[in-house]
Amino acid sequence: MQITRRGALLSAVTTFAIIGRARAADTIKIGVVTPLTGAVAEPGRIQLNSTRLAAAKINAAGGILGKQIELLIEDDASSNPGAVLAFSRLAQNQDIVGFIGSIRSTQMNAMAPDMLKLGKPVMFGGTDPTLTHQGNPWLFRCRPNDSYSARVLTNFCLTSLKLKKVALVHSTDAFGTGGKNAMLENLTKAGVTPVLVQGYTNNQPDFTPVVQAVKQSGADVLTSYFTNEPDCAIFARQLRQLGVRIPWVGSPSIISPVTTGLAKNALYGTYGIADFVEDSNPTAKAFANAYRAEHKETPDSGWTYDGMTVLAKAINDAKSTEPAKIREAILSIKKFAGVEGEFNFDKNGDGLHGYNIVSNNNGKIDYKEHIEFTD
Amino acid sequence: MSNFLQLLFNGLGIGAIYALVSLGFVLLIRAASVVNFGQGEFSMLGAYLLVVFFNIFGINYYVSMALSIVIMAGFGVIFAYTTYWPLRFRGGLPVIISTIGASIFLENLVLVLYGPSSVQIDGLFDADGIQIGDVFLATQYLSIIVIATILVVLQYLVFEKTLLGKKLQATSQDKEMASLLGIPVVFMILITFAYSSAMGGLAGMLVAPLLFVSVNMAGIIALKAFAANIIGGYGSIPGAILGGLALGVIETMGASYISVPYKDAFAFAMLLLFLMVRPQGLFGEKISEKA
Repeated sequence: MQITRRGALLSAVTTFAIIGRARAADTIKIGVVTPLTGAVAEPGRIQLNSTRLAAAKINAAGGILGKQIELLIEDDASSNPGAVLAFSRLAQNQDIVGFIGSIRSTQMNAMAPDMLKLGKPVMFGGTDPTLTHQGNPWLFRCRPNDSYSARVLTNFCLTSLKLKKVALVHSTDAFGTGGKNAMLENLTKAGVTPVLVQGYTNNQPDFTPVVQAVKQSGADVLTSYFTNEPDCAIFARQLRQLGVRIPWVGSPSIISPVTTGLAKNALYGTYGIADFVEDSNPTAKAFANAYRAEHKETPDSGWTYDGMTVLAKAINDAKSTEPAKIREAILSIKKFAGVEGEFNFDKNGDGLHGYNIVSNNNGKIDYKEHIEFTD
Repeated sequence: MSNFLQLLFNGLGIGAIYALVSLGFVLLIRAASVVNFGQGEFSMLGAYLLVVFFNIFGINYYVSMALSIVIMAGFGVIFAYTTYWPLRFRGGLPVIISTIGASIFLENLVLVLYGPSSVQIDGLFDADGIQIGDVFLATQYLSIIVIATILVVLQYLVFEKTLLGKKLQATSQDKEMASLLGIPVVFMILITFAYSSAMGGLAGMLVAPLLFVSVNMAGIIALKAFAANIIGGYGSIPGAILGGLALGVIETMGASYISVPYKDAFAFAMLLLFLMVRPQGLFGEKISEKA
């Protein structure tokens, strides 16, 4: 008999399925789609470590419904096709009760139809607001979505800094334009007309025209949505060289280690918004310490830890692994202290509704305040 | 007024960068009739070598630059043997495709070796710049303008006033005839590749402190430099310089006074305009001579 590839694959799948069945009773299986290779493998590694850390902690405390957690991990290769393939592989395993999805909205969008078809809860980190607003009941977000970033930026400028002559610099890509629109909406609501709204295209070698526009606008505070870190760093340096010293509050790229490492002192004294900040709450601190103890490095994200913890709590609360019951239990989680903040799930599946403001204190990122919204 | 002067200075600064990279293009066009789409990657490699020597090995900045330039010259010879030599009798197009292939290979090679993160590197001088009234002259831009000027003069003298330059030009115009006249054609072509590579590397090292060092740092610059080359006159040295400077100033002014998001569009609109109205460019008479 000739052994074809398809035949070999089929028998392998069947074997695994049988093994899976046999072991099904012993563990609670959680599927994890994460980048292990490709462009974002580095943050992927930290996210996977965090998931494992949460699973180990839960297992040590008795597991879920008295059973130990078993993580089944698939590599999404940092790409949309990779993510779809990874999820479909996991979806074949009927013993998996829930999933940890992706931090990238584009990959979540790619996997969402299959997730809807499968009908099991997926904890994810992508911040595109529409993901939880397109009628897919199985997506549960463990990071604040982008509609909150503009609200927090506006709120911080107008209320905390008490500055109203706002200049806005944004990338003209989808992320930057979305941010700009949300900012304009929020500023208009507060009765403020920005003195400058300036778009730029990504990957610019020189930002002189943008800097000059900020300089001449008479703004007393600068807000920004930079997509690429080098762009933010080049702009920062030219901004300082050309003598602009007004307070600057930026989207998360302004405090990423890559940007602060490139721009160095040009970014000292600026503010940024961040979902995960070690000093923002005791849970985050405990997580960061536990992570450091095991991996000898400081984590820059904690949403997978929250995703695993929230999912485990929901299954325990539901006392069942039935998807509909887990969903109900997740949606009724309120005032749950997570690493990224206090989880209060709304009907759409968004768990977090605020951001942290941090400042760049001579290269060290300091926690300043947390701005939370209840509506 | 100070706004205009500031834009003018920074426009000239970025224009000088285009001019430097454009010079690398011109050399290969003139001496080997090769349009090298790997020119941007020469700059990227030069910048990474500087990172390796200065940031990692901690060697003196200027020594690191000199070492990198020498290595880049050697690399140019390897590039010539692998990318150009096997296809030298196949006409222009196969060589162009081959240089595009080489550029993709080099980009991915560095990506594998060094990863996707950008790297910060110090400038030529510690001082950030000079403040004159409301106008800030950044040291790195000043250095680029000065070095570009020196190189242009040197290159012009070599090509137009020396025997070596004449031999290089003869090689470019008719390899068979040059060979009959006893000019070592192969050697001439190798010299050009080595010099062009070293020059591209130097341009990369000069822009590295401004743009940071990353795999795709030179992509848009190489594209604009090529446009500068067409605007200035295909294969013309003064043309490459003037084209580069004009491109830098026009896109900076256009961005500031008309629209920032259309900054790149101004550069390429200028290219289109020249292709329609004056396809031979500003200093284009050499082409008719060659034809």
